[in-house]
Amino acid sequence: MKKNKIMLLSSAFAVLVAAPAMAEDLVIGLATAQTGGLAPYDQPNLAGLQMKIDEINEAGGIAGKFPIQTIIKDTRSDSAQTALVAQELVDAGAQLIITPCDADPSIAAGMITQGASIPAISFCATTPTLPLAVGDYMFSNYPADNVQAAMLAAHAIESGYKTAYILTSPDSAYTLKLPQYFGEAFTGKGGTLVGEGTFSMGQQDFGAEVTKIAAMDPKPDVIMTSAYEPDFPAFVRQLRGAGVTTPILGSDGIDSPTTFGLGDLVEGVVFSTAGHATEGSPLEAFNAKWTEKTGAAPDTIYIANGYDLGMIIEAAVTAADSLDPAAIRDGIANIENLQGVTGPITFKGTIGMPLRSVSLVRIASGNRELVVQGQPDPADIPAP
Amino acid sequence: MDIFLQQLLNALSLGGTYALLALGLAVVFSIIGLINFAHGELMTVTGYAICFALIWGLPFPLAVIGGLVVAVAAAVLMERVAFRPVRGASGTTLLLTSFAVSAILRVLFQNVISARPIPVSIPTSLSGVITIGPLHLGTIQLISIIVTLVMLLGLNLFLHRTMAGRAMRAASEDFAVLRLMGMRANSIVATAFAISGLLAGVAGILWVAQRGSVDPLMGALPVLKAFIAAIIGGLGSLSGAVAGGFLLGFIEVILQAYLPESLLPYRDAFAILLVIGVLLFRPQGLLARKTIIKL
Repeated sequence: MKKNKIMLLSSAFAVLVAAPAMAEDLVIGLATAQTGGLAPYDQPNLAGLQMKIDEINEAGGIAGKFPIQTIIKDTRSDSAQTALVAQELVDAGAQLIITPCDADPSIAAGMITQGASIPAISFCATTPTLPLAVGDYMFSNYPADNVQAAMLAAHAIESGYKTAYILTSPDSAYTLKLPQYFGEAFTGKGGTLVGEGTFSMGQQDFGAEVTKIAAMDPKPDVIMTSAYEPDFPAFVRQLRGAGVTTPILGSDGIDSPTTFGLGDLVEGVVFSTAGHATEGSPLEAFNAKWTEKTGAAPDTIYIANGYDLGMIIEAAVTAADSLDPAAIRDGIANIENLQGVTGPITFKGTIGMPLRSVSLVRIASGNRELVVQGQPDPADIPAP
Repeated sequence: MDIFLQQLLNALSLGGTYALLALGLAVVFSIIGLINFAHGELMTVTGYAICFALIWGLPFPLAVIGGLVVAVAAAVLMERVAFRPVRGASGTTLLLTSFAVSAILRVLFQNVISARPIPVSIPTSLSGVITIGPLHLGTIQLISIIVTLVMLLGLNLFLHRTMAGRAMRAASEDFAVLRLMGMRANSIVATAFAISGLLAGVAGILWVAQRGSVDPLMGALPVLKAFIAAIIGGLGSLSGAVAGGFLLGFIEVILQAYLPESLLPYRDAFAILLVIGVLLFRPQGLLARKTIIKL
């Protein structure tokens, strides 16, 4: 009996999920992570995107005629599962696929969507080679690693730093390549790289590495790393504990409440991020709207980033004026200076990694202090 | 020389944390033959308990005590709900059960509490550093070395001086005979889980103090390290687990310190190679037990 009930329930569920789309519905398939290691990034992005989709549907759909229908499936942060889910979504008739916040599963899904000629956008993969690995139907929705690195390198040179030490981890493309792009851009502008240390992600032990840095003579002018939680707090705690006061540059992974909770340890740390809410900016208005709707201020920029993805989709479908996947792809690829809540977004002229503004933020007494906002000089961006 | 001493101190501090974790696994394994992969989730539970206690405005020491109480309660509850029904089943069944408990807890943390890490405000006094001559030691590292030693000493006293402790040692030798002697199996197993919960709680607090946040998956890596340490030491042997923990910490720190820069990305591979080397010479681990687990 019990089995029958479960069968009944699951078939009812299947009917719900596979409800046929109306003729003029835009079907967006979300092959994103609700569980596992990517959930901390995919969940807030999805929440932001969902808000934009709700707004669009309340207004009668994109351009008043294309309501959005979503099919959401969990990838469990697993690349093989992401490819499987992408196939299911393509079979279910999705005209646009959203992939997780990381290049590896996005490439796995991209292999399916590229073959089916359906555009795919990653929530926030930052690896600049992602579209190269997949093809012309693959896009991302976040400033690329090499763009962030170029901004940080320009800031390092402007601050008068002559020598830099980078700390990388081979465990992910982000933690390995971003500091290396930084090194490339920094030396390209006349700086010198005096060393590269490594760490294992999640280990939280930097004793050996910190002892080596403390023994360096002379010390580097600046240390750059893309370590994030839990590694960054442990690193900075142990580094300052060993009496090393060298300034630190970080990237967007540390833009989280934990970092700001570290007090004096992170005073003066400068990091790159996808957006900074200056007074009167669209991001400030978005944050207020989000707070009003959910009762809590957004704790990460990924929520606004997801909302921006909704704006990209809206702009692309409006331009395409049809639900043909190829026309939507062209719509995305031709976006120029779209005013998102985090800043202007341009896909035109890129291989699929958008040009978006990057903000450099300094931590001062536990608060954000904007250093600079904008896009780096294209000549300074290291090749992917 | 100073640098070498400093690295030795680093190894002692890392090894101590691994030893605490491995001991938590070994206490349970020595009694019922279960490698509890949900041990890491006990650390996560502790972290969340402290986090919410602090948010509710409890002072830090009280939050720490609360965290430990919750860890012990969670371990005992885990045994009652998940492991008691499968007690005495094959090792594979037990192992899979523990994987299931771990996976269910992680998904619950992600979807009920938050997928994002939640900051825990660690008092700034814990960020300090103690300087002894040329050596630096962070307060948290120092605390973890001291706490590890105190826990080892306490556990040793408990196992040798108390009735429950003696019963546990006897249970690890031969559970069937112990039950014939009239000891209640349930209470002994529950005690073992309570102790492992306490060890996970202490390790969890030290872990969280270092990272300043709690996230749903934070237990995964420590339990893996603990497993490796317990295997090196000889599964089921308590002193072996401690020795394995310190050895693993020592190997990792020394490799990080003295491998040439170009080989550093392969540090973990070298560490595991050394572990395999140890196991080639001592397949049962450093301090293996001769007895076979029976229930």
